[in-house]
Amino acid sequence: MAGFAMNMPFRVRRLNSSKMTNTETPEARKVRLFEEQALPLMPQLYGVAMNKTKNPTSAEDLVQETMIKAFKAFDQFEQGTNIRAWLYKILNNTNINNSVKESKALGKTALDEMEDWQIGSAESVTSVAARSAEAEAIDAMPSDVVKKALLELPENWRMIVYYRIVEGLAYAEIADVLGIPEGSVMSGLHRGKKMLRHLLLDYAKEEGYKVGEEA
Amino acid sequence: MSEFDCQETKKHVHEYLHNELSEQELDDITAHLANCDSCEADYDLESTINNKIEQHCAEVPSEDILDGIKDRLQQILRGEAH
Repeated sequence: MAGFAMNMPFRVRRLNSSKMTNTETPEARKVRLFEEQALPLMPQLYGVAMNKTKNPTSAEDLVQETMIKAFKAFDQFEQGTNIRAWLYKILNNTNINNSVKESKALGKTALDEMEDWQIGSAESVTSVAARSAEAEAIDAMPSDVVKKALLELPENWRMIVYYRIVEGLAYAEIADVLGIPEGSVMSGLHRGKKMLRHLLLDYAKEEGYKVGEEA
Repeated sequence: MSEFDCQETKKHVHEYLHNELSEQELDDITAHLANCDSCEADYDLESTINNKIEQHCAEVPSEDILDGIKDRLQQILRGEAH
């Protein structure tokens, strides 16, 4: 943080930021606020970017591009509102542009058009004993298995699960960040979690855990 | 007051665990869970999965990665300021 501040283009004015609120220029104020509010959120943005791109290099590029866009648009950020959601929204839009290019190049259809994971309306009715065995098996799973399972989800579901469970965003915030209705957040979470459960329990079965058959 | 049967209860598992329900719904489901082993086990499983994801899926960048991004960001912004 300090290193970044010292090397910013506007460093002369930045030096006295705490005392100079009266004489601070608009540009210096923008830099100061951006450093105070946006920069500390870079680790979280990276986490989101990693889950979106599944690739460390692309994640770095995405965070960088997001921060550049955010700095340029920072005048339009309404102070006092949720900066985290604002940055996620920029990240989301940035990635959309990139994936549009990529998917055109690869002749792919949008992930959103991917077919729903086959879900029956009724939940499975396995016995209580089988259920607790399932919970135990999942609880004992190594970290890389859980990570891999999450990355196997289609992107739209994966991001909803990630925003809700890892980042702790409310449904309404996720809807805002992704630009989708709250009902879609809810169904995406249900479907994503359902698929995750299948993946994890399949793994558990392979590993020899005695878990009940999933519906 | 609405009655929550098993199907209704299981359907709301995520909204329940993520605190997206009304007080009334929360109370009704909590009451159902207290008397239904099957639903309770279902909620326990989903909650276990949530905990695992929370523990293992957060991607935290190293200081090197963060510094690298800050350096490049700074150069780009400086380039545009001149």
